[in-house]
Amino acid sequence: MAVKDDLKTFKIAAWLGWQMESNWTDPFLFATYSIVRPIAGTLILVFMYLVITSGDTGSAFFSYMYVGNAFYMFVAEVLFGVTWVIHDDREHFMTLKQVYIAPIHFYTYVFGRAAIKIAIVSTGILITLAFGVAVLGVDIALASIDWPLFIISLVLGLIMLCVMGLAMGGLTFLTAKHEMGINEGVAGVFYVLSGVIFPITILPAWAQSVSMVLPVTYWMEALRRGLMPASMSEIAGGTGLEHLGNLELMGALALSATVFLLLSVAVFNYADKVARKKGKIDWTSAY
Amino acid sequence: MTDSWVVMNLRAIKGRAYPRVIGSTREPSWVFFEVALPLLTVAAYAYIYKFMNAPAEFVGYVILGGAMTAFWLNILWAMASQFYWEKEIGNLSLFLMAPISRMSILAGMAVGGLLATTLRATTTIVIGTVVFAITLNLSDPAMLVVVFFLTMVSLYGMGMMFASLYLLFGREAYHMSNLMSEPVYLVSGFYFPVKALGAFVAAGASVIPITLGLDALRQLFYPSTSGKDGFLPVEIEALVLAGLCVFFLILSKYCLDYMEMLGKRTGRLTLRWQ
Amino acid sequence: MKAAAVETKSLTRVFHPKKKKEGKSVTALENVDLRIDRGELFGLLGPNGAGKTTLLKILSTLLLQTSGKAYVAGFDVETQYHEIRKRINMVSGGEISGYGLLTVKENLWMFTQFYGIKSSVALQRIDELLVRFGLLDKKDEKVRTLSTGQRQKMNVIRGFATDPEIIFLDEPTLGLDVNASRTIRDYILEWVREGENKTVLLTTHYMAEADQLCGRIAIIDDGRILACDTPENLKKLVRTSTTLKLDTTFLNNKQVLNSVKGVEKFTYTDDAERNMTSLRFVLDDEAAVSDIVSEIVANGARILGLRKTEPTLEDVFIKLVGKGFE
Repeated sequence: MAVKDDLKTFKIAAWLGWQMESNWTDPFLFATYSIVRPIAGTLILVFMYLVITSGDTGSAFFSYMYVGNAFYMFVAEVLFGVTWVIHDDREHFMTLKQVYIAPIHFYTYVFGRAAIKIAIVSTGILITLAFGVAVLGVDIALASIDWPLFIISLVLGLIMLCVMGLAMGGLTFLTAKHEMGINEGVAGVFYVLSGVIFPITILPAWAQSVSMVLPVTYWMEALRRGLMPASMSEIAGGTGLEHLGNLELMGALALSATVFLLLSVAVFNYADKVARKKGKIDWTSAY
Repeated sequence: MTDSWVVMNLRAIKGRAYPRVIGSTREPSWVFFEVALPLLTVAAYAYIYKFMNAPAEFVGYVILGGAMTAFWLNILWAMASQFYWEKEIGNLSLFLMAPISRMSILAGMAVGGLLATTLRATTTIVIGTVVFAITLNLSDPAMLVVVFFLTMVSLYGMGMMFASLYLLFGREAYHMSNLMSEPVYLVSGFYFPVKALGAFVAAGASVIPITLGLDALRQLFYPSTSGKDGFLPVEIEALVLAGLCVFFLILSKYCLDYMEMLGKRTGRLTLRWQ
Repeated sequence: MKAAAVETKSLTRVFHPKKKKEGKSVTALENVDLRIDRGELFGLLGPNGAGKTTLLKILSTLLLQTSGKAYVAGFDVETQYHEIRKRINMVSGGEISGYGLLTVKENLWMFTQFYGIKSSVALQRIDELLVRFGLLDKKDEKVRTLSTGQRQKMNVIRGFATDPEIIFLDEPTLGLDVNASRTIRDYILEWVREGENKTVLLTTHYMAEADQLCGRIAIIDDGRILACDTPENLKKLVRTSTTLKLDTTFLNNKQVLNSVKGVEKFTYTDDAERNMTSLRFVLDDEAAVSDIVSEIVANGARILGLRKTEPTLEDVFIKLVGKGFE
């Protein structure tokens, strides 16, 4: 019964999320918006690369950078998207309290709302990757993809990101409207330290130590190994994780993801309790 | 009891800036975010240049670009789209009923947000240059002041023009602001010389004041590479920026008036949750 | 001679949907002719969706009319809105405007700065109004900590703090308790009486409020003005009729009462908890009372109470519109 209720909540929340994401404009403009943003973000890196290397997109590093940046959109958008649900409902639509006191699992509602963002960003990533392969020569060949590695790591990573987003959403209960900076900050830390667009070997030693405890580091590595297994061994100086076999890599990902998952659940529960105690569930903080 | 039009609008600027300034002091957690966040992006791009063994000045370009994002984001989110948020919380109708220029309200928002913006930009440059051991060789301080001033005036004029869209539109305008983050970083050459995009694209992007402003700053801080990486001579860029100042300030006044009239005619001026 | 505070001539406003599939056009106001003189406390009564807020939005220069003319303080709302804005203010019921992070005093001060009022003058005025509305102890509290009633009082202070010539009050006592409502009403009356040529246009659902405060009232429904006169004259419209209030046990088949001769109009409210129905009749023939009672009893209900009442504005409304206020 509880599962059925959760599914219903999820479905309605997803429907609401879709309305929020899409009904502000006509389908053509929405599609344009959903495509242009991710590609523009990626092209910044492409041009940075081209300016230095004078146009050599055939290198392993280019594919490394391109693929990492594409999948990083999940990190940014999922963390942002989950947190944004709470922020939006509280500060703008002022409906948070009504949802909060409803006899549903609040996190199911939040994940349902965020699910649509994940779907939209997935489309953006697919388009970005397709563009990269077709136009820029990114080294992904369907026949070479290690599907089990790719799919398992993708799913595990998404679950982890959703729960982390929930934790940060919990923190938004306690802070003013600029709380969106929290997940930007966390996403930014991952961007720098998790080997998203450059191998962690370029970082100072202390930073590399931090990288090794972040689940996104292993996630990025696993995704790339899954999508372009051959190219990964050609990165100059290594990626910093080349000493780990695929199983060990998945083990490290599972372990670090589990730790972050448990931490996130604890953070959310704590923030929720404190927010209720301090009456911050339905406050507004515009200035 | 009431003052001349100029004094009245100056009071309005002060009034609207006040919540921004006071809000900043009452919720000081923003300081951390405004300092730390930009550094993360700067660090990421700096390291990627380092990994590619790029010339040293490219890391400097990233730092300058990172600093200027503060102003661009202030335009997009603390000014242009602010009318959308004001509408949602019910303040917009009160602002619009008041006998003041809409530009005063926007100027107040901009002035009020300057503290955070300036802090963000300054710390990005200071910490970025220290962490990455970058040397910035300022060749012409006077020209720097001129270029920076012209860039800011024209940029904020452009922001006011964008703000006019929010008088009419709802979430479309919010999403347009969202859409203008990364594409503008790209076409304006925030993190690489805009010349790399080709003369045609660079010329087109020059309508965004920050394009030429940033290009001029790069040339002023790295005079030895200005020939290789600069798009136009600094003096020409300054002249164009001066023209953009006039252009955007006039255009923004016209757009604000027109959009307000359109919003009143269609009944969408104070319509929430569009 | 000074121009009227408000004047409208054949004022019409039609709302068109953005897209065809979003529905049909809605005529919110239709040929509204109204004149409010300076120094008047004028009421606008109407059910939800009647067009009251639309009219106020046009007069406060937030909305343009589709056709017709509107003048506030003698200035055209379409072309001379700059002059109008110097002379007006507006307060709406249930307003959520303001910044949660600012204190009450700061919030109020900020809005006065948009009207060119010197800070020293504004702060003094705000203090006086805070005392008047019993909010002085809240002046340094953040706006987000206020209760609904306190917030609405703050909104009302915001409206009057700029000392406008004309103030538009759109259901200012909505959702407030008796004391808070009384404070606001008393102030409004005082402000009009003691001010020089101060004008109030008040929209409300509360009949007693309109009756108590307003020198003249316009009744609006479906965008049209149905009547406009003093409360006494409006009540005279139903004085030839008899008003009857009847309480019964739950009455199922109410529509049959429409066919009783002498019944002009009636409304009813069911109280499911107490298993009761309250009926209110406007009769053009007092003899209909016995037929009404017979019909009720024949339909299985019992009479619990019966009394004739003096006509009220609600009776006027029922007569003109055919329904009570929801």
